Amino acid sequence: MIGLWDTTGSAVVKALAAERRTAGGVTSGLALTLIVVTEEAEVRAAEAAATVAAAAHPCRLLIVVRDEVTHPRSRLDAEVVVGGRLGPCEAVVTRMRGRLALHAESVVMPLLAPDVPVVTWWRCGPPDRIAYDPLGVVAERRITDTMQCDDPLEALRVRADDYAPGDTDLAWTRITPWRTLVASVFDASHSLPTKITIEAPPKDPSALLMGGWLTARLGVTPEMRPVSGNRMHGVAMQMTDGGTVTIRRDDGRVVVQRTGLPDRTLPLTDRSLGEDLAEELRRLDADQTYAAALAKATGRDGFQDRAPIRVHVWHDPALAERPDTADDAGRDTGPSGETAMVSVSGAADVAKVPDTADVARPAGPGVADGDIEAAGDTRAPGGEPAK
Amino acid sequence: MNNPLRDPQDRRLPRIPEPCALVIFGVTGDLSRKKLIPALYDLANRGLLPPGFVVLGFARRDWGDEDFASLARKAAQAHARTPWRDEVWDRLGENIKFVPGSFDDDEAFDRLAETLDELRATHGIEGNAAFYLSIPPSAFPVVLKQLERTGMSDNQKSGGWRRVVVEKPFGNDLPSAKQLNDLVDHAFTPEDVFRIDHYLGKETVQNILALRFANTLFEPVWNSLYVDHVQITMAEDVGIGTRAAFYDKVGTTRDVVQNHLMQLLALVTMEEPTGFSATEIRTEKLKVMRAIKLPGDISRDTVRGQYQAGWVAGERVPGYLDEPGVPPDSTTETYVALTLGVQNRRWARVPFYIRAGKRLPRRVTEIAVLFKRAPHLPFAPSDVEMLGANQLVIRVQPDEGVTLKFGSKVPGTTMEVRDITMDVQYGEAFTETSPEAYERLILDVLLGDKTLFPDAEEVEAGWRVVDPLEEAWAGTRPEPYRAGEWGPRAADAMLARTGRAWRRA
Ligand SMILES: NC(=O)c1ccc[n+]([C@@H]2O[C@H](COP(=O)([O-])OP(=O)(O)OC[C@H]3O[C@@H](n4cnc5c(N)ncnc54)[C@H](OP(=O)(O)O)[C@@H]3O)[C@@H](O)[C@H]2O)c1
Repeated sequence: MIGLWDTTGSAVVKALAAERRTAGGVTSGLALTLIVVTEEAEVRAAEAAATVAAAAHPCRLLIVVRDEVTHPRSRLDAEVVVGGRLGPCEAVVTRMRGRLALHAESVVMPLLAPDVPVVTWWRCGPPDRIAYDPLGVVAERRITDTMQCDDPLEALRVRADDYAPGDTDLAWTRITPWRTLVASVFDASHSLPTKITIEAPPKDPSALLMGGWLTARLGVTPEMRPVSGNRMHGVAMQMTDGGTVTIRRDDGRVVVQRTGLPDRTLPLTDRSLGEDLAEELRRLDADQTYAAALAKATGRDGFQDRAPIRVHVWHDPALAERPDTADDAGRDTGPSGETAMVSVSGAADVAKVPDTADVARPAGPGVADGDIEAAGDTRAPGGEPAK
Repeated sequence: MNNPLRDPQDRRLPRIPEPCALVIFGVTGDLSRKKLIPALYDLANRGLLPPGFVVLGFARRDWGDEDFASLARKAAQAHARTPWRDEVWDRLGENIKFVPGSFDDDEAFDRLAETLDELRATHGIEGNAAFYLSIPPSAFPVVLKQLERTGMSDNQKSGGWRRVVVEKPFGNDLPSAKQLNDLVDHAFTPEDVFRIDHYLGKETVQNILALRFANTLFEPVWNSLYVDHVQITMAEDVGIGTRAAFYDKVGTTRDVVQNHLMQLLALVTMEEPTGFSATEIRTEKLKVMRAIKLPGDISRDTVRGQYQAGWVAGERVPGYLDEPGVPPDSTTETYVALTLGVQNRRWARVPFYIRAGKRLPRRVTEIAVLFKRAPHLPFAPSDVEMLGANQLVIRVQPDEGVTLKFGSKVPGTTMEVRDITMDVQYGEAFTETSPEAYERLILDVLLGDKTLFPDAEEVEAGWRVVDPLEEAWAGTRPEPYRAGEWGPRAADAMLARTGRAWRRA
């Protein structure tokens, strides 16, 4: 492990190359680069999850902790680990402070492994629009976790508004075991449900997605029955043949009850964050089943027309933190308040970008400010806001 | 009716078998304890078993369900690949039942049939069952007869699917293999017979097809224009252990060449299948297996060996003839090296060198494709002295992966060219999570997917290669080699005659 304090992006690139050389080909077959955007308190949890996931998908792990964007002095600290405690990962943990934190991509881009897909995972509340975060724009797969938000259901709607192919949410990943069970009901049955009830805590985004999925596939919109607790509790179905099927969680197991058949019990182990993440990394293409479920769950539409490539939108959280400009920041969501910056995209070849860029690039005075930002961090954080 | 919740685009949902039972004969045996039961646990742990799933263990023990449950639990705990979770085992264990009886005991089989029928009411299992014959082949006829007699092998009568799983050896030569095939295919239907060649369950073996047919890079040079020769090695460092009674009758060629190595050879040499269904792949494999050509002079172009005492991995080990249970005058081989050809346009005149043996320096299975040297080298001869032939090596086990060897300039002022190796390891990174061969194969049996199972014709094609060799070797003595060496000298000489050498695997 190499620790670098108050360092530069190029020093980190060199340190990674040096560590790879000494470790000797441990991870020559990288499948992808995983960028984890997180907070200091979550670094260990993110590392642990990534280590589990990396066992199945050897990856370069770039953990980015952005902190104190308003700090007057920018600073970069980094830890480089190849092999060792992180298993088959090679990892760089970067901590950025001050204005640098708003330009994290300048440190991250040179660290991306060449020619392999980039996945960005927010182990924290994701940005309202992924385009605000350049680390989301470079990725072809973006993983959010609405469960981490204060209002998960609202967060899921935000995700739907912002959806682009390649986005997924861990609230969806978490119900794969449930979906598997519910699907297996129809393997051996020739009858369809007329009524479905999902029992789940009121603020469970997974249950909402479950409902969206069943609506999309079966054409029956489930009823939600709120229960206490913090996880989905069960699914009950009234079938066309008059029988009922219920699948209910019961103390670390699941009981499947079906009219005319004896009860069956199955283990339902809660998967670790790492296992969920590994499932996410298995497919790097867009998850259309998720898109359909999300659309039905939130009543949004038109997902198939969304471009998989985003264009970075300049959004300065520092503005929001300073009381005198809070109003400006608040308005920073309309098209005139945002600025298209560089069109960065990991996968797209340049030829594909312009038309999406054209659509997304707003006209207006903001453009010039954005370009200044793009050109380099020339202003002190206390300087004139972009308006 | 298709399941409306299953959508090919929904790739998160695993394929899960229909509710079914797995009946294991010989459940007290080595294979069952070390592989089958642990694989079942791993499948359960990965959530791949259906809600209605029952294991019935059949053995000649005066046991209750309790005794059996504790044996199964111990076996699973000792050999499972995935982390141990009591709750997973508890659910699975509840559905593991024991049926005592010997194979000639009609009553026991009637009881088994009844138990299976009862599962309909108690577990919602609509007649689906797979019978795993983890027993010596000599016991096959009685067991199969019992299954027929009771109607347990009959799809119609049972109202679901009935499948049978058999392990190698698939006979001892072509006639006995045919007899065995007829026996199983008759008791069940040929589509319902699953023959296990656990090599085909290995990820890296399946990857041969991906490497060849998913890329543009390799296929254009995958022929006699560019390939000089191919070496397939299956080396084991262990001896025969306690299996003398079995091994001495069989020898290396029947034990591993007829099945595993023939399959590897077929996968490396076959033409592109028109699709990836079981029959389409099988068609191509069979075609190429039938094109395998034996050497004109078998005594010159094949070598049999037998290990003598020596040192392996820092330990002194006895010779084959001193192993317990081996007759002192045994002429059974523990090593074999073959020169084979494949008679078709793609492979004409490319030798395929195949070797397998016990007590070799290390355990390794690999396929090495050695390319021809460049027809012209515009370098000074002294600068390319260290340049060998380009090689593509598929390592099947251990350290699964692929290496590519090619020439590269040595840094410095001269134009010196030397071999370097590019190494892709699925290896350490994957071994933890990539499933055991038996997990994959048992799941495929329950799903009814036959892609990874050789059928009767493939087995017979394997014997068509091995039988003439065995015949030519009859009455000859294998060459001795010291345990811990790469086989007898004669094997090196076999390649040296054409100016080639074995790759150090
Ligand atoms: N072990 C491996 O790794 C391996 C690899 C490839 C293929 N195979 C094949 O798999 C099969 C099983 O191998 P194994 O190693 O598990 O053999 P094993 O340890 O000798 O076990 C054989 C099983 O069959 C039972 N059995 C034999 N004769 C019987 C009879 N007359 N009545 C009732 N039960 C009888 C034995 O029961 P008892 O305990 O009561 O004797 C035992 O449970 C064989 O066909 C073998 O060739 C094994």
